[in-house]
Amino acid sequence: MGNKKPESKEVEQYKQFEKNFETKRPVFKNCLKAFLVGGFICMIGQAITYFYIYFFSFTEQTAGNPTVATMVFISMLLTGFGVYDRLGQFAGAGSAVPVTGFGNAVISAAIEHRTEGFVLGVGGNLFKLAGSVVLFGVFSAFVVALIKTILIKLGAI
Amino acid sequence: MKKLVTLTFITVLTALLTSCNTDATQNSGMSLIQKSDPDPIILDEKSEDKQKLVSSIKKDVAKFDELYDVAVVKGEEEILVAYKVKHMQRFHMVKIEGEINKMLEKKYPKENFIVSSDYKIFLEAVELNDKMKNPDFSEKDAKKKLEEIIELKKELT
Repeated sequence: MGNKKPESKEVEQYKQFEKNFETKRPVFKNCLKAFLVGGFICMIGQAITYFYIYFFSFTEQTAGNPTVATMVFISMLLTGFGVYDRLGQFAGAGSAVPVTGFGNAVISAAIEHRTEGFVLGVGGNLFKLAGSVVLFGVFSAFVVALIKTILIKLGAI
Repeated sequence: MKKLVTLTFITVLTALLTSCNTDATQNSGMSLIQKSDPDPIILDEKSEDKQKLVSSIKKDVAKFDELYDVAVVKGEEEILVAYKVKHMQRFHMVKIEGEINKMLEKKYPKENFIVSSDYKIFLEAVELNDKMKNPDFSEKDAKKKLEEIIELKKELT
């Protein structure tokens, strides 16, 4: 397993030929866009955190929960209005990685499958993409907690 | 056009909601951004010894290079010490809190301290300081407020 067959001359030639016509991905530009838009989303999140600390009785430690809920809610509204899709096309990972991407994934799946009915369409597909976020989020949290527990038991921390 | 109306509606709603704050007064309003350096408060029997004690606690804590604003409130049983950490030092917040706790316990072994680096706790301490200047604000109210702040500090979720 794993041994690749040596490619024939024609295939190699074709690959070279194809390379000349391939549009190059502007990796640096994409990274910059993702960085700026992602950073801007996080800045809004920070402002909302301060809003909750300032006007409600939330401390820095407890303000995280309502902030996440608000950010997800805003991105759900924006997805519904069709604004977030454009932002996603422009910024790529910058709009998908923050928690707002989670809201977008949920609502866009709901809109997409609305025609299939509420139970099998919306209900069945709502967590199509977000499900994997939840699953691997919970699993990685479990692994990290396990490592921390072991380290504490061993007296390393 | 419809989008514009929706966006304007959301903006106006946010502006209206955020302007409904009546609690914040003078100093506390800006203390999240600026250095406010509040005077220490004593909610216990006022004596010269206690005045000296709180002043020296404030001085000792302010000696830490990583901090830039310290508020001290002395209640009947506990002394609340709230401080703001310089932005680039916020990675070491746990370490700084440990060091301050250690120093305070060593220097003032008889006193019972509650130490917090949380913005909210600091904000509330400054607000209490502001309210104390109002002659209508009784000592009983002040003690109740301190209790509330301590409860807020203990809250985790």
